[in-house]
Amino acid sequence: MKIKSRKIGLISCSGEDMPEGTISRVATRRVLEDRDDVVSICLPLFLAGGQEERDFAKENPCVTVDGCEKRCAAIGVKKYGGVDAKSSIVVSEIVKEGKFQKPSSRSKILPQDQRLVGFVMSTINQEIKEVQEGKD
Amino acid sequence: MSEEKKKVAIVACTGMCKSLGTVTRQVAYKVVEELRPDKTVLICIPSLAANVGEYKKYLRDYPSIILDGCVERCAAKIVSKNSGSIKGRLFLPQLEKKYGLKPASRTEIGSEGEQLVTKIAEEVATMVDRLLQ
Repeated sequence: MKIKSRKIGLISCSGEDMPEGTISRVATRRVLEDRDDVVSICLPLFLAGGQEERDFAKENPCVTVDGCEKRCAAIGVKKYGGVDAKSSIVVSEIVKEGKFQKPSSRSKILPQDQRLVGFVMSTINQEIKEVQEGKD
Repeated sequence: MSEEKKKVAIVACTGMCKSLGTVTRQVAYKVVEELRPDKTVLICIPSLAANVGEYKKYLRDYPSIILDGCVERCAAKIVSKNSGSIKGRLFLPQLEKKYGLKPASRTEIGSEGEQLVTKIAEEVATMVDRLLQ
């Protein structure tokens, strides 16, 4: 089966610890709502032992979206799924590049953070495109 | 109980695939940031499961309250695996029925979702007070 014909799994860290986790979660959610060629893998379920989620990650390419450098989604996929994500995005690293203000709220997306959410969404879409084109 | 013990760990499943996962997350923030900021700590489920950070220590030191958004009960499973002491469990599908409030979607929980967050957060705050008595 060609990668193009398979769905791509999106795994967001959903990290509660910092605002970047909220950005990763919301950006991932919005991408999922915009496209029908990707599926969401619930990270807590994956980590708690969800066999369907783990099997999906073994059989399909996955893109992880982490909020911070701890990279829990990427580490979790490797540790419990036994595979490396095809692509790994880290929101805090995007923020460090200096084009965006560091988000300040863990509980909601503030108006000034919408631009960062949009950028993370476009980064996710770009990574999906590259995985589909086999540039991984 | 020592000073060190006077906190409760709040663990929300934060599941991506159900709107109640989003509600668990909002409830946790409301309790930890607004209602009982000095009495609670928030556990980051992905960090705990990936064994990154100091969350295992919190679970060893503090009793925990679990918020699960669906029947998979991932938060409870992950805390149990990490030897946490679960002293309270809230299963949000039951509370959704109890209060008759339905969140709008996984991204935007809407007005009913916000009301549900407030009601559940108040329940959690009461549980925290009871655990620390």
